Amino acid sequence: MANWLESAVARAESGDLVNDCFVGKRRQALTLLKQQAWPTRKVEAWKYTSLYPLQDKTFTIEASNDTAALSTVIDGLESIDLIFINGALQNIPSELPVGLSIASVNDSAEAWAVETYSSIKPERHLFGLVNDVLASDTVIIDVAANASIDRPVRIVNVLSAGHESHSRVLVRLGNNAKASFIEQAIGNESSFHTAFVEYDLGAEAELEHYRFALQTQDAMAVGGCHFNLATKAQLNSTLVGFGSVLSRLDVDVIHAGEYTHAKINAIYLLDNQEIFDLHTVIEHAMPNGSSEENVHGIVADQSTAVFNGRIHIHRDAQKVLAEMNNRNLLLSREATINTKPELEIYADDVRCAHGVTIAEMDKTALFYLQSRGVSLAQAQVMLNFGFINELVDQMPNQILAQWLRPQLRERFAQMEVK
Amino acid sequence: MLSIKNLHASVEDKLILKGLDLEIKPGEVHAIMGPNGAGKSTMGYVLSGKDGYTVESGTVELNGVNLLDLEPEERAKEGLFLAFQYPVEIPGVSNLEFLKASVDAQRKARGEDDLSAKEFLKQAREACKKVDLPAEFLKRGVNEGFSGGEKKRNEIMQMLLLKPKLCILDESDSGLDIDALKVVADGVNSQRSPDRSFIVITHYQRLLDYIKPDFVHVLADGKIIKSGDASLALELDAQGYGWLTEQREGDEA
Repeated sequence: MANWLESAVARAESGDLVNDCFVGKRRQALTLLKQQAWPTRKVEAWKYTSLYPLQDKTFTIEASNDTAALSTVIDGLESIDLIFINGALQNIPSELPVGLSIASVNDSAEAWAVETYSSIKPERHLFGLVNDVLASDTVIIDVAANASIDRPVRIVNVLSAGHESHSRVLVRLGNNAKASFIEQAIGNESSFHTAFVEYDLGAEAELEHYRFALQTQDAMAVGGCHFNLATKAQLNSTLVGFGSVLSRLDVDVIHAGEYTHAKINAIYLLDNQEIFDLHTVIEHAMPNGSSEENVHGIVADQSTAVFNGRIHIHRDAQKVLAEMNNRNLLLSREATINTKPELEIYADDVRCAHGVTIAEMDKTALFYLQSRGVSLAQAQVMLNFGFINELVDQMPNQILAQWLRPQLRERFAQMEVK
Repeated sequence: MLSIKNLHASVEDKLILKGLDLEIKPGEVHAIMGPNGAGKSTMGYVLSGKDGYTVESGTVELNGVNLLDLEPEERAKEGLFLAFQYPVEIPGVSNLEFLKASVDAQRKARGEDDLSAKEFLKQAREACKKVDLPAEFLKRGVNEGFSGGEKKRNEIMQMLLLKPKLCILDESDSGLDIDALKVVADGVNSQRSPDRSFIVITHYQRLLDYIKPDFVHVLADGKIIKSGDASLALELDAQGYGWLTEQREGDEA
């Protein structure tokens, strides 16, 4: 076992294992974790993403608030904020809309939470097990049946230099409930965090979801969002990633009821020697569901993107419609894209389609823009932006889209076409 | 306005232009006709600076500025405009965004401030109207899903907004029905002025019924082999290019 993982296990065993109502699940996770070897590139799930940057690192575990310089504000967004600073949960907002409850769990939780915790997130995620044993301050969010919460709930992880943190949130949307959740991480200095969120959607519930993994440079992040959809539940998720020395996101969508629908739009924009690794798994366990996944990426310089998209249609899941599309733009000859669709289909009356493209920037389009007076650099930004904007335009929350666009433009302006 | 002297240019090591000479004065309209493969479109691309089109020798000056030293966008800022034979589709970039970036870039080059979004939208809507494109085309991706005729009219709309000094229309009439042809011609005619010149590349005399040229040139095998007034186009329409190329071969022999 490698040093970082050894020390994490040792910490959990020596008393850091949080002793709250989830302790049973945490003990199970610890048992599993102790059986795991440090993944090398020979392990399929980590074939294209090296954990070497983390392997021998040590971080400060104590939470501290030295993050004054980092702003978490999104202009114009009236969100209900849960802010973890280096892993420590700040105040839970006291005035909440009717139908929304948020609790930090220390020693008691309702039965549903104990039952659901760690049941949506699959056991195979190594860092999910790490999060199981080390995440304190677990937050339980419950949206009552039939409630429609207008203000988005925002979960923000703020990391400062030298820190390690593990945050965990469990969300339940009751039957026919509607809500919007935003997950966000901030801080580009050397740090490591795992952030896992589980969402349990009741029948006919609608979840609008965003995850902005925009940390770059030396910030390391491994995390996941995991969704369980009961009958007629609907998920609309937008994932946006910049790369860093280590940035990995695992998404699992379990269609556990009939007539469920999941739409996932994902964007990654990588520069320098950054890595971003997106693994998505769509489990169609029941009939008549549909899923639609569009992933657009642009990779520049010597960066590496990984997209592993798995669709698993179970034997009884007839009449499922599943589509997955991954389009990539390579801006340099030294940039790498590893894209792998994995379709596993056991039902015989389904429609399942996938497509992958990898292309260079369209020189004809560049010339067309230049011939009208637009500089080469600006033309490149415009074309990059055009490639991505289609998905940004589809974000249901236009305040978030407005907040995101200038950040994308700024990033494109730095990305060189070689 | 434009002075091309003894221009030789190649594409992928194949010499296409073989000693092109052309002088254009302000306010003039020159039509370039000629058989397929003569180098007409190559001339447009060489003048506008497309990658892959290599100038081997010769000079091109626009109002005294050596165009060949400039990047494509700098040539545009000097007042050159090429209406493409095959306008490019750019999904994801709206026509409006594209037009504003173009106009702003050229205004900036002239030391003028950016137009306000409101003022620009007003101008763009007027230009749309002139070329008979619904204003909603401004919101669509650049040329995305446009018909052939809509793409050509979109080119003319760009010309109206950019107000170039020298416009090269590369087969702006191809694929157009007669109504669309009139729209394109009206757009061009509305821009004719004593300080603006046009090069109209076409296969057909038909366009020249609507855009009256001052001069007609025949480009064949990379150089101009005959020049005349508008009546030359009628002659070509009646007799084709065969008599000219034969005559030239006779002259050379």
